[in-house]
Amino acid sequence: MFEKIAKILAEYKGIDVSEVTMESSFADLGVDSLDAVELVMNLEDELGVTIEMNNQVQTVAELVKLVEESK
Amino acid sequence: MIQSVICERLGIEYPVFQGGMAWIADASLAAAVSEGGGLGIISAMNAGPDYLKEQIRQVRERTGKPFGVNIMLMSPHADEVAKVVEEEKVPVVTTGAGLPSKYMKSWVAAGIQVVPVVPSTAIARMVERMGAAAVIAEGGESGGHVGELTTMCLVPQVADAVKIPVLAAGGIADGRGMAAALMLGAVGVQMGTRFLVADECTVHENYKQKILRAKDIDTFTTGKRLGHPVRSLKSPFSRAFFEKEYDSSVSNEELEKMGGGALRLAAVEGDEKNGCFMAGQIAAMVKKKQPAAEIIREVCQEAEILLKGAGKWVK
Repeated sequence: MFEKIAKILAEYKGIDVSEVTMESSFADLGVDSLDAVELVMNLEDELGVTIEMNNQVQTVAELVKLVEESK
Repeated sequence: MIQSVICERLGIEYPVFQGGMAWIADASLAAAVSEGGGLGIISAMNAGPDYLKEQIRQVRERTGKPFGVNIMLMSPHADEVAKVVEEEKVPVVTTGAGLPSKYMKSWVAAGIQVVPVVPSTAIARMVERMGAAAVIAEGGESGGHVGELTTMCLVPQVADAVKIPVLAAGGIADGRGMAAALMLGAVGVQMGTRFLVADECTVHENYKQKILRAKDIDTFTTGKRLGHPVRSLKSPFSRAFFEKEYDSSVSNEELEKMGGGALRLAAVEGDEKNGCFMAGQIAAMVKKKQPAAEIIREVCQEAEILLKGAGKWVK
């Protein structure tokens, strides 16, 4: 799941996928709270899941966990 | 007469919402707006469930028409007031200051028409998926907590992004603003600042006078450093806050603490020195006190005349 999310995230931010790690925080990647919503919408479209977004998600690890719980 | 899909959906006469202004939008104003044919909205603000229940009771006592409650999602009592609107079967709920995801399913299942305030197309799409009845695209011209995009840019983009009805907010206080909003793709408007000076609005008289005296350049935003900018009238408090914001020796915690309670001081005490008088950029165009019903009629009649005459631009 991490790989899929990292790819979508990298595409969204226009950065290299190698820059995205499990430990990356959204702040490190330049993802603000409005970006995070856009990102979640993209993830829903591409992964066919419904994600209950909350404001507590701040890192890639937390996002992966949220998506896995949403399946 | 200006009418749109949102009137049918919510059972209101005019497509005009009254903004859910904290410390300002209480039962008195909300009931007057709803009775006047618009959608009056009670602000649940940071208060607990008992306050909201009492406000809802008072609105129901004064009008049998549909009304709404605005839930501020950052409120420490958000979970409790979210339950109150279900128990009380409030017809419409608007939300602000965050994502309503946590409550949407339950509200929609309870038959509530949920109309979140959105600052971006992605959030509009997200709440549409979760069953929102409509969205309010609010530009940064508005008062209080504001987003980055302006109404002129946000409304058409949100209208393109979702299939549900879009209302425009931010910078609208007369028929010109309403007509323009409809041309941008909105099916109605939400106004805050104009209703603040309504006769039925119980806000402190000093607050009303400050709005009535405001000039075009009299509002600005503070709090960008904290990530949630607020538009208010320039005042001793807001200028001092602005200075501290650019003082690196002042911590974010100190800054947050300084802002706490300042809106209450303005709205309830009318404290011109220590109060934060939140207002939209349009405050300068708000020139007279009137009954809420008259405001609604005036804005809609003016928009109607303008839209009927719009053919003059097409040769």
